[in-house]
Amino acid sequence: MTDIQQTVYVVEDDEAVRDSLELLLKSDSKPVQTYENATAFLKDYSDKMAGCIVLDIRMPGMDGMELQKKLNEKHSILPIIFVTGHGDVPMAVDAMKEGAVDFIQKPYREEALLEKIEAALEQDREQRKSLGQKQEIIRRIKSLTPREHEIMDRMIAGQANKVIAIELEISQRTVEIHRSRVMHKMGTHSLAHLVRMVLSVKDLIDAR
Amino acid sequence: MTEVVSENSEVTVLLVDDNPQNLKVLYETLKDKGYRLLIANEGEKALDLAHRHQPEVILLDIMMPDMDGYQVCERLKASPETADSAVVFLSALDDLQAKVKGFSLGGADYISKPFQSQEVIARVKTHARVIRLERELQARNRELQGDQTRILNSISEGIYGLDENGAIEFANPAAAMIMRCPVEEIVGRNFFEAHFATSIEGTGGLPVHGTCRQGVAENQRNIRMLRPDGSAFPAECRSTPKLDDDELHGAVVVFRDITAELESEAALEEARTLVQEQRDQLAHASRLTTMGEMAAGFAHEINQPLTAITNYARVSKRMMAKETPDLGLIGETLDKIEAQSHRASEIIRRIRRFMKKPATGKEIISLPSLLEDTRQFAEVDMRNNDGGIEVAVPEELPDVVADPIQVQQVALNLIRNALEATRSSGASTPVEVSASVAGPHCVRVQVRDHGIGLPEDAEEKLFLPFYTTKDEGMGIGLATCRSLIQAQGGDIGFERPEGGGACFFFTLPVAGAEGSPCRPEDPVSARED
Repeated sequence: MTDIQQTVYVVEDDEAVRDSLELLLKSDSKPVQTYENATAFLKDYSDKMAGCIVLDIRMPGMDGMELQKKLNEKHSILPIIFVTGHGDVPMAVDAMKEGAVDFIQKPYREEALLEKIEAALEQDREQRKSLGQKQEIIRRIKSLTPREHEIMDRMIAGQANKVIAIELEISQRTVEIHRSRVMHKMGTHSLAHLVRMVLSVKDLIDAR
Repeated sequence: MTEVVSENSEVTVLLVDDNPQNLKVLYETLKDKGYRLLIANEGEKALDLAHRHQPEVILLDIMMPDMDGYQVCERLKASPETADSAVVFLSALDDLQAKVKGFSLGGADYISKPFQSQEVIARVKTHARVIRLERELQARNRELQGDQTRILNSISEGIYGLDENGAIEFANPAAAMIMRCPVEEIVGRNFFEAHFATSIEGTGGLPVHGTCRQGVAENQRNIRMLRPDGSAFPAECRSTPKLDDDELHGAVVVFRDITAELESEAALEEARTLVQEQRDQLAHASRLTTMGEMAAGFAHEINQPLTAITNYARVSKRMMAKETPDLGLIGETLDKIEAQSHRASEIIRRIRRFMKKPATGKEIISLPSLLEDTRQFAEVDMRNNDGGIEVAVPEELPDVVADPIQVQQVALNLIRNALEATRSSGASTPVEVSASVAGPHCVRVQVRDHGIGLPEDAEEKLFLPFYTTKDEGMGIGLATCRSLIQAQGGDIGFERPEGGGACFFFTLPVAGAEGSPCRPEDPVSARED
């Protein structure tokens, strides 16, 4: 899970720019996958993809901005570096609002591009790592029985064992047993950690 | 008989005889025939009456005292007023000698005495009629001559009649006016010597000479004619041979002073040049505007190869930094750099050509390559247009004569409009550019789109300056296009094709075609091909 293969996905309609970018990234030992248009990339896209997208804004057919919107609909977390031939402030603002990580103008210094790609890949790694951790937490939460889930919600809400026992009309001893199972299943010894874990995935659970 | 009276009225007959008896008989013979009869009994009196009344017929006795009939006749014929009267001698002398003498003096007839009244009546009648007809003929001739003179006088062009040597036999008043010299001083002079500085080789090469000598009509414009006072003027001169049964008798020369005409022609030409210059400048300004609108597109278009070059260069450096550089691969990459720099310079070349100063002039151009070039140019603008541009031009299309930059400007303008119309209607059908032969001397280029179509009042307004349907348009695009195409001798217009959208077309004359074969009068170019 830690060392997933990251690829730089280049979506660029200009053959020479695409070819030169591919050579450049390969010479920098980056795995590269090129697409001559947005539609081709979208057809190939899966949530298993890791790495980043280098995306030309101005393309015939579907342009870069449209592709970004389509990927957002698919909950893609692949960072996007937009490349454009001419500085277009409103377009850049829109792209950043939609979650682009960066914006680079042609012709660019390759160091600048490589730096941005490096940063995007790092962000992707981080996102993927935290996503992995969150998915683990969700997996653990899902392993709880309904009763255990109920007890955990009250623990997080800060209720004492006694209060929980009275409200659920069970013995305090039973509460304690459930509580230790919750802590075990969630893989922690500290209530504070449990609270942090559950809150960190709250948005994901709510989304469901 | 009334008929006789009316026929003979106005006819005056003078009877001359020294013998009263004879006069009386003559008078009695003719008195009821409707003639006005005058009587003289001696020569002097006869002459006096003849002068005053100009009788048609004079019956003249030969044998008279003082002045005989021959003398009277001689005097009558010598005077213009009476020369045409018919003199009929009356005499008993009936010998050949007397008759011959009478005829030689201008006598018209001879009646022997004693005369038969019937004979007198018949002869007088015949002569009266002949004289009257002659006089009518003369009057008619005078009238015609008067008309001719009036015509010649009223013609503002100078007219000369020349003999075969070039001597001026006739000159009209206009000729005298132009030459600033009275007609009398012109007539008799030699045309060539009077009006041209005769060179050493003689008159051979001078205007009109060929007409005088070889009988060929000539027509010259802007030749220099000299006046008798030494001044000169530019003239237009036409000469036609005077032929009489294939025999050459010189020439008729019609000429006029074209000083004012040349001046107004020069002024017109100057104005035309000015209009041309202004149109070219407007076209140039309009191209600059187009370039301004397309600048972002060009920046992008040039950035593409530059980006690729930068990337390839970096890759080459990395490859060279290796311990054992792959020279083959480096060479390939350098080739790619070269190709991309050509690509960039090609774009710049195209821009520079398009922005060239006005008036590059007409040349023979091949439309397929020009339209292909224009398509590539326009594609700079259409990177966000799904449909793109499709060019369909038959390879065998004849070449046209036009200013290539201005034709490209018009084509580009129409294509960009079509792209914009397509884009704003949200369609993705390509813009179709095609060319075809329209009529024997005309090629038609059309740009068809599937956009929003044309407004209802397009016919009246579309080509007017400053009319626009665009938010940011200035409305000089199509107006300029029209003036440019018309300057090439072509026509521009539009149609509403079936299935929506718009179709703009322009025509251009085929190389080698005469005149303006593509103007709207030509029904072929105005309609669908």
